[in-house]
Amino acid sequence: MAPVVGIIANPVSARDIRRVVANAASLQITDRANIVLRVLAALRACGVTDVLMMPEKGGIRGHVERGVVRARAHGDTPYPAIHLVDMPVTGTVADTHRAAAAMRQAGVAAIVVLGGDGTHRAVVAHCGSIPIAGISTGTNNAFPEHREPTITGLATGLAVTGKVPAPVAFAANKRIDVCVNGGELREIALVDVALVTERYIGARALYRTENFRELFVTFADPEVIGMSAIAGLLEPVARDESGGLMVRLATPEQRQAGTCGTILHAPIAPGMITPVGVTDWRRMPAGVPFVPEIKAGSIALDGEREVSFSARDRVSLTLRDDAFRTVNVGGCMRFAAQNRLLAGAPAPLPATA
Amino acid sequence: MTENPFPLDRDDLLKAYRIMRTIREFEERLHIDFAKGDIPGFVHLYAGEEASAAGIMMHLKDNDRIASTHRGHGHCIAKGVDVHEMMAEIYGRSTGACRGKGGSMHIADLSKGMMGANGILGAGAPLACGAALAAKVRGDGGVGISFVGDGASNQGMFLESLNLAAVWNLPAIFVVENNGYAESTARDWAVAVDSYIDRASGFGLPGVTVDGTDFFAVYEAAGEIIRRAREGGGPALLECNMVRFYGHFEGDAQTYRAKGEVEAIRASRDCIKIFAERVIEAGVISRAELEAIDKEVLDLIEDAVRAAKSAPLPAPAELLTDVYVAY
Ligand SMILES: Cc1ncc(C[n+]2csc(CCOP(=O)(O)OP(=O)(O)O)c2C)c(N)n1
Ligand SMILES: [Mg+2]
Repeated sequence: MAPVVGIIANPVSARDIRRVVANAASLQITDRANIVLRVLAALRACGVTDVLMMPEKGGIRGHVERGVVRARAHGDTPYPAIHLVDMPVTGTVADTHRAAAAMRQAGVAAIVVLGGDGTHRAVVAHCGSIPIAGISTGTNNAFPEHREPTITGLATGLAVTGKVPAPVAFAANKRIDVCVNGGELREIALVDVALVTERYIGARALYRTENFRELFVTFADPEVIGMSAIAGLLEPVARDESGGLMVRLATPEQRQAGTCGTILHAPIAPGMITPVGVTDWRRMPAGVPFVPEIKAGSIALDGEREVSFSARDRVSLTLRDDAFRTVNVGGCMRFAAQNRLLAGAPAPLPATA
Repeated sequence: MTENPFPLDRDDLLKAYRIMRTIREFEERLHIDFAKGDIPGFVHLYAGEEASAAGIMMHLKDNDRIASTHRGHGHCIAKGVDVHEMMAEIYGRSTGACRGKGGSMHIADLSKGMMGANGILGAGAPLACGAALAAKVRGDGGVGISFVGDGASNQGMFLESLNLAAVWNLPAIFVVENNGYAESTARDWAVAVDSYIDRASGFGLPGVTVDGTDFFAVYEAAGEIIRRAREGGGPALLECNMVRFYGHFEGDAQTYRAKGEVEAIRASRDCIKIFAERVIEAGVISRAELEAIDKEVLDLIEDAVRAAKSAPLPAPAELLTDVYVAY
């Protein structure tokens, strides 16, 4: 049987406060549905005949359905058959968790994810060793690389059908495990964990740099925005090398007193280049638990405040190498070119009348 | 003293709690009194949605104007309308905010910037544009805010107002209070583009979605949106996802809701409980302080009901006074 590909498209990513405090984009539901259709067409072109999709009530499905019906009316079959995960829809992140777990159980060959860093994190928390292919439809996306979704779909199709060998098709990724009170609460982050002084979750997004205190990243990339950019502009760490970086940020008092070493102008959100006071930074080796210095505040995972903690709570952070797999889109497409995977013999031209 | 990690000082945290608790007790009391047959007309209760009204109104002054909905008690209380006058109005007494002639869906107090609850869905949006235009012309930094339900947001008036606010770059803010139902119709049955942010984008307004059961999420997002509007940044839309504890109107049998739905949201999504737990846990406010407010609020509501019941009905001779404004 041909491999089945899972698709998790978050209808509500990119809706947060950064649309007013910064000039972040907002991607409409119809745009998300169009991305799904592009991915479907690419998967079908590689021989994928069935996909398993997360149901949602955000409106994506209706628009996708419209595209499928229209194609059928033309007599085309450019899309795989769409099956929906049988699950209740709550309109919360629980849907993504449940869908990822169900897809893992169903044995899908890969999961294509549409969302921001938060959506990808929610999938990774439940998909086990199933590789994911990320498409950015969020705000501050450091994790999914920015590229045309058609290409992500083609690479995924080539990978799951075995046309690209697994060692080339899939890549290993790092993760930071957050543990509160010896396991009372466990969370993960794919890119960054930031400790901030605000002790409320509120509107979630991180944009008040004066409240940033400590930062831990799996990779430090000067080409992205957000927390990873802060680390990336100090000391780049690649996605495919072991370990990450930890950065200590200055308090407003330290900045006032001029004792904070470095002032970094970092792109922390779309269109927001903000001075951030840095005291020092160092490598964060894999497998070594780190205990943050800040005693109370919030833990932000991949750019969003998620958990608040007080002096009574014990927080520790551990980076893991090889924590989950992704489709190596660039690798797949280069392999496809070198091996002429998408090239075939020309079909004879129809005789002209 | 513990450091306060919240974006409001202690006095404002207590004030926000008092607003939410007053709305809740006001509604809980109406729920009982309406069932007894004490109240004429129709009432739609706001219980469960308090964090939206409080989180937004904490940023407003009397010269900021709001236009409310058919579910307006919470907006009135948060905007500072007198609770005694509101109760008397709902009881149809001459001491009411509108001399007892309006009832639940017409409570207004212009001196507080509360332009009125409104029985016509979507009708508040053009009023808020008018208020925003006035503020812009006067240059007084005021804003006009329209509240609208998820169902009412399908009204042409609402959509036209988004356009008007955008072309005139008004300090107008549209708050979609999305409780998932319009009477008995679920949102995903009736709204083609399910995100209100998409609707705003269609007219060139930015939009933000927040968890409307989290006071701090509403407060933070509303604060940025209102500041942006005051600074000339133009209109914006705020979508608050929230839950409604009671039926559409009092007397609604709610056959369209899942079994256990209300119990579940009361247990896990009660915005007042969530707020109280946070501030107590942070050590900024004590449980005793909140309980003292609870008691004062109960006394206030009790007294408002007592006063309303003993106040006179409007006299028949006053039937045509205060009904139209003479220009
Ligand atoms: C123009 C107009 N059409 C219909 C009605 C009848 N009506 C009153 S409330 C309501 C549903 C409103 O739903 P929503 O806007 O979601 O607000 P909610 O009741 O959920 O707070 C309807 C249809 C009305 N009052 N005005
Ligand atoms: Mg509604």
